[in-house]
Amino acid sequence: MLTSEQSIVEYRAGRAIPDRLTQNTHRHYLEYAGKMLAIYREGIGRQRRELHRQVEAIFADEPDCPIRRIEAFCKLLDDAGIFQADTSGKAAKLRLDVFSKAARLHPLVQAPDRLFEHEEGAAKSQLAEELGAPWEMIEQGLYADVIAYQRLEEFTGYPDAAAFLSRYNVAQLQACLYRAESLTVTATRDLKTIVRYAKLAKLLHEIVRGTGVPPMTVKGIHGQDARATHGQDAHATYRITFTGPASVLRETRRYGVNFARFLPALLTCKGWKMEAILRTPWKTAAKLTLSEADRFTSHLPPPEEFDSSLEQSLADKFGPVRDGWQLIREGDILHEHQKTFVPDFTFRHGDGTEVFLEIVGFWTPEYLALKRETLRQFRRHRILLAVPESSLREGASITGHVLVYKTTLKLPPLLAALEAARAKRRHELVDG
Amino acid sequence: MMDRNPQQPITLSFDRGTLLLTGPQPREISSGAEPSVWRWDARVGAWRCEAIHYLSGRTALSRRFGAGFRDDVAKPVSVAWPKQDLPELRAEQKEALAAWTKGGRRGQIIMPAGTGKTEVAFATMAETQVATLVVAPVRDLMYQWHRRILAAFGYDAGIVGDNTFDIKPVTVTTYDSAYIHMDKMGAGFGLLIFDEEHHLPGKCRREAAILSTATMRLGLTATPERSDGCEADLDWLIGPVAYRLPFQQVRGSTLADYDVVRVPVALDEREQATYDQCSRVVRHFLAARRKEMPGYTWQDLCKETGKDPQARHAQKAYYLKKSVEDRAAEKLRVLEDIFRLHYGQQILVFAGSNAMAVEVSKRFLVPTILSHTPKRERLAVLEGFARGAFTVLVANRVLDEGVDVPEAKVAVVIGGQASTRQATQRLGRVLRKSGSSRATLYEVVCEDTKEVERSRKRRQSDAYERTVHRRV
Repeated sequence: MLTSEQSIVEYRAGRAIPDRLTQNTHRHYLEYAGKMLAIYREGIGRQRRELHRQVEAIFADEPDCPIRRIEAFCKLLDDAGIFQADTSGKAAKLRLDVFSKAARLHPLVQAPDRLFEHEEGAAKSQLAEELGAPWEMIEQGLYADVIAYQRLEEFTGYPDAAAFLSRYNVAQLQACLYRAESLTVTATRDLKTIVRYAKLAKLLHEIVRGTGVPPMTVKGIHGQDARATHGQDAHATYRITFTGPASVLRETRRYGVNFARFLPALLTCKGWKMEAILRTPWKTAAKLTLSEADRFTSHLPPPEEFDSSLEQSLADKFGPVRDGWQLIREGDILHEHQKTFVPDFTFRHGDGTEVFLEIVGFWTPEYLALKRETLRQFRRHRILLAVPESSLREGASITGHVLVYKTTLKLPPLLAALEAARAKRRHELVDG
Repeated sequence: MMDRNPQQPITLSFDRGTLLLTGPQPREISSGAEPSVWRWDARVGAWRCEAIHYLSGRTALSRRFGAGFRDDVAKPVSVAWPKQDLPELRAEQKEALAAWTKGGRRGQIIMPAGTGKTEVAFATMAETQVATLVVAPVRDLMYQWHRRILAAFGYDAGIVGDNTFDIKPVTVTTYDSAYIHMDKMGAGFGLLIFDEEHHLPGKCRREAAILSTATMRLGLTATPERSDGCEADLDWLIGPVAYRLPFQQVRGSTLADYDVVRVPVALDEREQATYDQCSRVVRHFLAARRKEMPGYTWQDLCKETGKDPQARHAQKAYYLKKSVEDRAAEKLRVLEDIFRLHYGQQILVFAGSNAMAVEVSKRFLVPTILSHTPKRERLAVLEGFARGAFTVLVANRVLDEGVDVPEAKVAVVIGGQASTRQATQRLGRVLRKSGSSRATLYEVVCEDTKEVERSRKRRQSDAYERTVHRRV
């Protein structure tokens, strides 16, 4: 990641526009990127300072290139390499040695006289002789551990020039988020990935299920009972606002780094929009908006389409719609305060019934305990649980919402369970 | 909302730099007449407030809910010092300690450099005997606190900073690390000591005080003033000023008397040519721009550097000009003269940049303390200087504040910034009480350049009132 000093953001009409190099606006930068990678690839053994100067030289006649952009390139290149670190403290030892030896000659003067007889050049030659090396070499080694003088040892780099520029663009987005006070994601898919990575980045969430989705049958999602039309896209829309603990007390940029860490994971997802509220250097507010349509490329791999082959085969067998039921993968977030649960599938019927299915592939006692606790917490929801027969304890009671399977989940028992849930709901509605 | 189940306890806990109150329903707290520090946090279904309100919050809650209230916030442990090797406090130090104690052990002590603020801090630690976090501006100072705590109390304090995260009941850290880590370590310290407290009120750094539950707080500084006026916030971040010892009161008594000598140097022919050339580039560019856009400023130029190689060229010329000024060869010659003049005395040299510090070091083969100097070397250099094995020590800005450099009677400033604080701090460094000899501060500045102006600005600080102009 970049430092704030390398961040380039333009603020226009309340919007934050981070620096971005694209095929359209900066096609010629591909060539620059290639040259920069070459400098580092061929620069093994060179000092950091020299490498930075070489990179800077590429842009000497480029009219469109702020110094910060060059510094950001250097940071990303440095990050993809390993520099010789003076771990044994060789330079520090040499310094103490030289300065201790020189202390008795102090001061080294340019015109010696009777009082001060140690002429600089002569004294240094004398020290060099004592240390058994030419003075130039000693002087070079004296401050070899200073970061600017460290030498490049290894360069992993980036796959190609385009990948390097992609990484730069994402890095500028991330650096822009350092100034963010909150971040809101509107998402329909990949909810599990979004929630999981936000948790890894230690963010707190507020989840609101949006309108414009099929009628909701599930109570408790912030009490919203939207009577929505049956749209073409059966996916529910979730608005998830991420902040940190102190955000409720005051405006703080404390969590900007957490937002930045979360971003690359969001970029791998599908069907999302993002809006961050940031504070400009002039203390005004600005918005950074972003969506899948902006086509940023993350260096992280996209989330797996399915967690297991079991899920995959069920989705294939069931198809998108069957007997009035729509199948949606990871389409809903059940949540209570900071506890969340994204069931593997949502089945949504035309009449508004919603049933969730969670497939339990294997059991370890801890996993079992965790799942049981989660299900207990969300027991108000219609959740079906698919459990492999081999994992069942002897004498385990099979209730209506548990489906037992041998190798794959069969459709008839699943559809039967779905219909049973629908019937039950009808009764509840009639009973009022 | 349902009424609270009376069986359900009201629990206060620490959550990443904030206090979380679970149990009471939303209206149970908000109905109070005074503006409350508590906010309802729907994300977790609990009340939340800043950790700094711990003392008042806890008192109010236990009064209101009595036995139904449970405080789960980690309590600071008490510390038994292995030994106490503390000097007898001087009268003004005793006064400072008494004033702070009387102020509810929350407050600031303002005393000039070299008057023993650290000793007062140690006295508060000896008295309170509670888990303590010391926050210092830079790594050097953090290590110095560590060393001095070890010497005074025989206690090997924990360190948070410099790539170390080792928390103990008594821990030392830096402002930057405190900002980053206070959400993790905010509960568990009873006493916070902010050394050079004027660093605290910055937009981010203040969170080090806000995210902590410590009920006792001590701020130390010689110069609380900040250019942004935020020092007023220290009153609630730490506590009001408990004691203030003015600078004039100590001169000549506790501290050595001193002279300030300004030594003007001239650029040599080549430097002057480069300097003039650069000045012309900058001036021409600005003049050309101002013809089209009156009121065109340096900030405008910086903004344009991304779009216009000409602007970038002018910006580079400006930096080169500054660097010529900073690293004028004549400065090295003046240094040689000063070294000759003060032969046998300990001399501190403050450079305006790392590059200049390294240049001085390479020319005279004298040790440096720079921000990246490794811990062990730093100790060896300071120790060697204290014992007289090294007579000269070169520093950039690292030694600006608080780092003890004993027995230095001569300091040379060869470039630096114009702020009042730097001047006072640097003076304090050479004014440490050590015998009766007069201290001397040299300022080596280029003639006919901006540096002269900075020197003038520096002297407005009252520490410079008795400036003596003299050529070496």
